[in-house]
Amino acid sequence: MEIAPVLRALTHRKIGVVLIVAQIALSVAILANSVSIVQQRQGLMRRPSGLDEANTFSLTNQFTGSSSDLSARIRTDLAALRAIPGVIDATAVQSFPLRGYGAATTVTLRPDAKSPFNAAEYSLTLNGLHTWDMKLIAGRNFHADEVKDFWLGISNGAPPTAIITRALAQRLFPHGGALGQNVYLGTSAPTQIIGIVERAQTPWAAGSAWGTFGPEESLLVPFQWVSPILAYVVRTEPGRNDAVLALAPKRLFAVSRARVISDAQTFADTRAEQYRSDRALGLVLTVVCGLLLAVTAFGVIALTSYWVSQRRRQIGLRRAVGARRLDIVQYFQVENLLISGFGAALGVALGFAGNAWLVSAFEMVRMSVAYVIAAAAALLVLSQVAVLWPALRAAALPPVAAIRWQ
Amino acid sequence: MLGYYVGMALRSVRRNVALTALMIVAVAVGIGASMTLLTALRALSGDPIPAKSARLYSVRVDNWGPDAPNNAMLSDLVSYTDAMALLRAQRGIRQSAMYETTFGITPASGDANPFTATARVAGRDFFAMFDAPFASGAAWSAADDEQRAAVAVIGAHLADRLFPNGGAVGRNVLLGERSYRIVGVLKPWHFQPRVYDLSSRLYQETEDVFVPLSTAVDRQLHTMGGSYCDHAVGTVFADTLRSECRWLQFWVELPDPAAAKAYRRFVENYAAQQRSAGRFHWPPNVALLDVNAALRAAKMVPDEMRVSTVAAFGFLVVCLVNATGLMLAMLERRAGELSIRRAVGASRGQIFAQCLAEASAVGIGGGVLGLGLTALGLAFERLILREDYARLVDLNLDAVWTTFGLAVITVTVAALYPAWNASRLQPAWKLKAE
Amino acid sequence: MLKMTHLSKVYRTEVVETYALRDFSIHVKEGEFVAVTGPSGSGKTTFLTIAGLLEEFTGGQYQLDGADVHGLNDNQRSRLRNQKIGFIFQSFNLIPDLNVFDNVDVPLRYRRLPGAERRKRINEALERVGLSARAKHYPAELSGGQQQRVAIARALAGGPRLLLADEPTGNLDTQMARGVMQLLEELHRDGATIVMVTHDPELAARAQREVRIVDGQVIDLAAPARLVENPTSHPAA
Repeated sequence: MEIAPVLRALTHRKIGVVLIVAQIALSVAILANSVSIVQQRQGLMRRPSGLDEANTFSLTNQFTGSSSDLSARIRTDLAALRAIPGVIDATAVQSFPLRGYGAATTVTLRPDAKSPFNAAEYSLTLNGLHTWDMKLIAGRNFHADEVKDFWLGISNGAPPTAIITRALAQRLFPHGGALGQNVYLGTSAPTQIIGIVERAQTPWAAGSAWGTFGPEESLLVPFQWVSPILAYVVRTEPGRNDAVLALAPKRLFAVSRARVISDAQTFADTRAEQYRSDRALGLVLTVVCGLLLAVTAFGVIALTSYWVSQRRRQIGLRRAVGARRLDIVQYFQVENLLISGFGAALGVALGFAGNAWLVSAFEMVRMSVAYVIAAAAALLVLSQVAVLWPALRAAALPPVAAIRWQ
Repeated sequence: MLGYYVGMALRSVRRNVALTALMIVAVAVGIGASMTLLTALRALSGDPIPAKSARLYSVRVDNWGPDAPNNAMLSDLVSYTDAMALLRAQRGIRQSAMYETTFGITPASGDANPFTATARVAGRDFFAMFDAPFASGAAWSAADDEQRAAVAVIGAHLADRLFPNGGAVGRNVLLGERSYRIVGVLKPWHFQPRVYDLSSRLYQETEDVFVPLSTAVDRQLHTMGGSYCDHAVGTVFADTLRSECRWLQFWVELPDPAAAKAYRRFVENYAAQQRSAGRFHWPPNVALLDVNAALRAAKMVPDEMRVSTVAAFGFLVVCLVNATGLMLAMLERRAGELSIRRAVGASRGQIFAQCLAEASAVGIGGGVLGLGLTALGLAFERLILREDYARLVDLNLDAVWTTFGLAVITVTVAALYPAWNASRLQPAWKLKAE
Repeated sequence: MLKMTHLSKVYRTEVVETYALRDFSIHVKEGEFVAVTGPSGSGKTTFLTIAGLLEEFTGGQYQLDGADVHGLNDNQRSRLRNQKIGFIFQSFNLIPDLNVFDNVDVPLRYRRLPGAERRKRINEALERVGLSARAKHYPAELSGGQQQRVAIARALAGGPRLLLADEPTGNLDTQMARGVMQLLEELHRDGATIVMVTHDPELAARAQREVRIVDGQVIDLAAPARLVENPTSHPAA
């Protein structure tokens, strides 16, 4: 099949060509960027939090009544939770990875430093690491005498020791040797790094709102959070998570009715809730792209059908002078390939331009070339498939169409 | 003439059912997708109090100085010291310092479980400033503020829950450990986004309980909202009050921009005084943000929403291009008829107008279907969005009109070229082949 | 009524320049019934499209109803077509999805006549061609002769000064053709000016005067009787 005559014929239907080229180009650009965003978000959603996610649940507990003996009530509650069969350990905290809110602190290497680092701060007791199933890759856990009560967020001084994540250690001490170093948490008193854990995501790791530190830059300090509102995080034996989750509120109410329990949920649910926007974005973009491909395919079918009906006489003539059905089909396929090929090429350029804009306006991640190529290829294939139907109809025209058609 | 065009348009629709249907569907799908996202976006970025948004200002004072860690941006929270100073000055028409806390509430009937109520700790001016609607009773008095009275205003939902038979005003309610006398009950109050507290979830329902700031501080109710503190505050609640922790919002109502300018100068002067008194060691750094500026600064609409909306509008453009192609095919089919009309004296303008009228008919069809798809899309969105966003996403009258407008405009734009093309047809002498 | 002097029409494509009409002069007086004949490709249809203001001409002069039409813009030409000219086409050119009444209505609509006036004119025109009873029928439900009568009614309804007919009986059988021809003759008797293109000598003979076009030029301006009176115009001379 020669291309030159097809091209010459195309110059006679400029506007139709322009319309298909525009549709293909826009579709390639939108598809490539959408797929890139969805893929990137799914990558983010798969990052581990550091907890034993499959076997962990949490609930928010608010004590009612007198707040004078909170510290004791928390200890009683924790004992009751640990007594439930199937529970490995439990801890009472202000926040935990992916909770969506929590505390953050400044971290400086000298007391008078002007340019601080920031990190999420978790108050955690002796059982903390065990409950959260976090492995120390260096150093030690807190000692009992280091752990103090942290009342209602009022602190009377920096903690003497802290455990930090590997990510934070690398940020603070790029050349290593973080263990044993002193850091300063907004006061002039030093805090010594006594341990490093593999991973503990921050409460905000799912969102982009807290942009001043990375998703794994967390710091664990030896405090028992004491407040009318706190979270109980419970780790269970494998397979017991749901059963214990159902039982835990009952056991707590058995200890005391003077409380409100809310948000009792598995960690999987916490994760789903935190990544809901990302999941929604993925779903919306998927739906839009699906519709986009359908509409583009229909556009190709409609315009090609229109061309076929415009050219019935010509097609009949070709058939009359000896063209086979296959030749007619091929004619339309080659024509379509030329048009959509041009559209796809334009779409690649448009896709990169669109991505550059998304990156600058929305802090989206730069798109890799593979997505654009894949999107362009997808639309070429779609367009070829879409053109088949009108092309086959054209091929089915009898040679007498040349004469009979008005 | 318009009537004639419309009549002809309807005939044409009847004659080209398949093409017209395809065109309507193409337009409707594009409209449906983009309106779904636009409606959601607008719901989330709405001005909660349009009538007063230019008169209400969030006041911010830098009490940490330029060298303090993490102090690049003035936060919407101020220290208790600064909040009290501004409050005492009474320079605005109304003003209120406030923060968020929560109460565990134990219902009077013994078998009901205790529950949590969110509370706003504020001054009496808060209600008038943010147009909180009272169902019964009223805000507490200035004297109540003064005397740290144990009074509360409660929301409609809590009133129903505690006093299903009404008559809440004058009754007492146990909030946490203490009893408060209810002085007012609000009507259901949808104030979203909740601009007066930018550090908590913006799209949450308004609070269940409102109590005076003086009373709350007296009873040492700790903030459960946003708070910037360091590790050396002290040991008791009074230490927090004395500290440079930032944990209160401060809002002021001012009559006009001139007053806002004057108020800003007043706050600058205050900061300068603090400097000369030795508390601040830096030049005054203050800000006055009206409602919309505060919302912008909070970057409250998630990027995900905006990106989806951009994608949807890109899709709408594709649908528009598509409709242009279909319209071209449809009018080309009718070239014969149109050139007869030209022959018997229709001017180019008249043919153009007739084609556009037909396009509008398709546009209205696309609008109706698009509206249905938008409703469907919003239902889908409510399923997948975070709960506090989902509640806001609804099809309002505004969106209905926008949908129709968008549909008619889209199709008319799509029809411009085909209609112009049709109007350039030579008047026919013969309806010939070719 | 219709006067063309030294008119020319050139079709240009990238490679060739074709004279469809050259040095073409014709004068049709008010109330005349002129037949225009000529072999296929002689320029008959071109003449008619120019006469009907459907196409512009390249050179020369054309006066319609005493007014020069050279240089009129599209809107002015549309208005002249609408008000002064009635067309009768070989293939009828009715709009298939409009009924008889609405078809006749088309030109009147573009004239923005009030409804009552339009109805009156349509009914009169349909009565004139004997199709009052068929006003609600669609073209497909009518015979060819009836369709052509509708087309004539549409041409008449506007009260044109000039009727232009292109092979009005070309698509009709003999019987129907005769009926349509009789109608045209009646209209002529009632005072209409008619220019009819045909290749049928029998039809041409029924006109008042015959004009012959060959190769884009009028070569014969009179009935044979006049030829004798004016031998200088004879091609053989």
